[in-house]
Amino acid sequence: MLFLGAVKWLPEKKAFDEAFDRDGTARQHYRPLVSILEGFTQGEIERRERLQRLSLIDQGITFTVYGEKEGTERIFPFDFVPRVIPSREWERLQAGLVQRVTALNLFILDVYQGQKCLKDGIVPPEIILSRKEYKRELLNVIPPRRIFTHVVGTDIIRNGAGEYLVLEDNCRCPSGVSYVLENRNTLNRVFPEFFTYYPVRPIKDYPTLLLDTLLHAAPRFSEKPVVVILTPGMANSAYFEHSFLAREMGVVLVEGRDLIVEDNYVYMRTTQGKQKVDVIYRRVDDDFLDPLTFRRDSLLGVPGLMNVYREGNVGLANAPGAGVADDKSVYAFMPELIRYYLGEDALLAQVPTYLGARATDLAYIVEHAHELVIKTTGDSGGYGMLMGPFAAKKEIEAYLAQVKKTPGNYIAQPLIELSAHPTYVDGTFEARRIDLRPFILYGESVRVLPGGLTRVALRPGSYVVNSSQGGGSKDTWVLAEKNA
Amino acid sequence: MLSRVADSLYWMGRYLERAENITRLLLVTEDFSTETQGLAEDLAQTAWKDMLAIFPSAQLTREITPFAPLSVPYLHTFFTDLTNGYSINFSIRKARENARSVREALTLEVFLALNEVFRAVETYERKGMPDLPAFHKGIFAVVGAIEHTSTRDDGWRFLKLGESLERSYRAALVLRARLPALLAAEVRGDAPLYYTQWRTLLRSLSSLENYRRVYGARLEPNLVIGFLLFDADSPRSLRYGASVVCDYLAALSGPVELTTPARIIGRLHADLRYDDEAQMRRGDFVGLLDRVVGELAKTHDAIATQYFVT
Repeated sequence: MLFLGAVKWLPEKKAFDEAFDRDGTARQHYRPLVSILEGFTQGEIERRERLQRLSLIDQGITFTVYGEKEGTERIFPFDFVPRVIPSREWERLQAGLVQRVTALNLFILDVYQGQKCLKDGIVPPEIILSRKEYKRELLNVIPPRRIFTHVVGTDIIRNGAGEYLVLEDNCRCPSGVSYVLENRNTLNRVFPEFFTYYPVRPIKDYPTLLLDTLLHAAPRFSEKPVVVILTPGMANSAYFEHSFLAREMGVVLVEGRDLIVEDNYVYMRTTQGKQKVDVIYRRVDDDFLDPLTFRRDSLLGVPGLMNVYREGNVGLANAPGAGVADDKSVYAFMPELIRYYLGEDALLAQVPTYLGARATDLAYIVEHAHELVIKTTGDSGGYGMLMGPFAAKKEIEAYLAQVKKTPGNYIAQPLIELSAHPTYVDGTFEARRIDLRPFILYGESVRVLPGGLTRVALRPGSYVVNSSQGGGSKDTWVLAEKNA
Repeated sequence: MLSRVADSLYWMGRYLERAENITRLLLVTEDFSTETQGLAEDLAQTAWKDMLAIFPSAQLTREITPFAPLSVPYLHTFFTDLTNGYSINFSIRKARENARSVREALTLEVFLALNEVFRAVETYERKGMPDLPAFHKGIFAVVGAIEHTSTRDDGWRFLKLGESLERSYRAALVLRARLPALLAAEVRGDAPLYYTQWRTLLRSLSSLENYRRVYGARLEPNLVIGFLLFDADSPRSLRYGASVVCDYLAALSGPVELTTPARIIGRLHADLRYDDEAQMRRGDFVGLLDRVVGELAKTHDAIATQYFVT
């Protein structure tokens, strides 16, 4: 334990600590923050923390937890110690993300038109063609301006050496950006002192950038495109975010039942009759978008929507079919795909990945299951995964039995010691594991929001940062280059 | 605007107004019953029973126990009981549910205030007896936030339409429940008790001070009735209520021809506005109130057909 003044710090011992060196001195970019916090009395910190929690409850900044009592709302716990990213580190991250998202979009485009990467043997065809995220119905249906991935959230972690690694890409409906913005608001209000020493890059214009991106997705002929957000409804875990973004962008938030297809155009039902819709920022999965094309039992979607989309009469963001890039086996091929499409080496490293689909890899997975994290290729949010190093022998055996049945549906990765960050826990600043989800917008150009969602595993020793599994979040600061 | 959003805002307005009405009626009835329980228990009993006429389909779920204040089972039924569709708890939850489903159409201030009231209800649900005056203020904070921060667009109009329709409807039911007994009562030996009832009626419709401002402190039954039915400026008179509903509907339909709900409420308003003297002479208030309740219900149905089902 470290005593610097009245405040107690418990730095990380095993993994990379974002704020402290191995010998316990604060890293340069954390020094002002550490000394500001040391200037507070315990009582003052507690008072501010109460204030902060109350403001989240009052504003109803909540998410819905599935599997608990119907419609349970919870606040997404917020830890007030901000994560600081120096400008040089960010520049490299940003360049890597722009490169990656550009390649991802080219890949999806290729999958739905031409399939050259399959023919050239870059990716084995069965990995793509057998997946439910691959939509055969959409072959040769190319979205306006050839953009599939309007909004991407790519999850980044740091290994023991502090190197940034891509963990996964979310090309479908990545959520969390509302917390990014609200966390900044909250911290501004509760700890204004923090901001006096740091040139923190602003993030407040995200809604404007998002709206630009969505307008860019409009069918060519619309002069004043009408943009709406399509939400599955109040019971969805990200409903707060859907409504937040609608308010921030000044667009209408619709549910499936508010939309209707007529003469191959989409309309919304208003008190003044029907009004045409040009772009739908849909926060509904592909499978639920249109019961006539995908799942017949879906009540969340709009019958006939896909026909309108095929005709080019409505823009959908992200474009249907983009989920094929989220597949965790595709992830394994990303370095090759970047080289294939862009002729460049990947700027961002990623986690070594063993494919269940590959016989030699499968043998390795079975042999080393106790040291690996094994995941299903299609799931996200920490569901359906086995943490080998923490699992009981029986658990591993049961899981491997499943893997052997359909090996193609699994991948495995070594356990990465996620970096840790000081987090306020009952009066001390203890190291807790974190990750980072930057948000990338693909409109006229590819832009990265200077910030992102830093999720933190609040349970001691835990590696799981998902909000559905007891995670919280932090404000994420990207520092501007100092002009001095 | 989206029909679904208009529908939710309309109901948010109705439920908020309803919660305020229930709170006020509980406050006023509790005062009256405390004052009269020892003096004339039958009157106190009747005042509480009227609650069940004003909110039809509500049922007492707790027994009246001897020696306990009469209010106990009613406070439970009308504050906390979620099985009662007319409890404050139920109304506030519904208002918030509607608000949450259209949160992007509300200002942050409105949502914050409503959320606070909601949390207060939750607290009372756990801890028991509500602090009615504090709670009443909480509702006013929501209404104030709506008044001070909302842009005057169609969304706001639908919210206010729901509020004004609920207000008139409930006022008509309060009068319908209480007037017959009051009119039948004689100025018996204890005139003070008689006038307490008329005063309570005015307070039930937050009109006591407004009445005094027009007619002074003297309570004249005919003047009270005329005031509550036909006053041009008092927010809970039936005539004023109908004119407000008319105005919101006119603003919503724009300069186009009259919509069905606007025609129904327009005719009712014209009666209340121009036929007041004849009505007072005729003295068939029960008949008039039944008609008002009926026409307001028809207006509601016509609004739903016109705007919410497209």
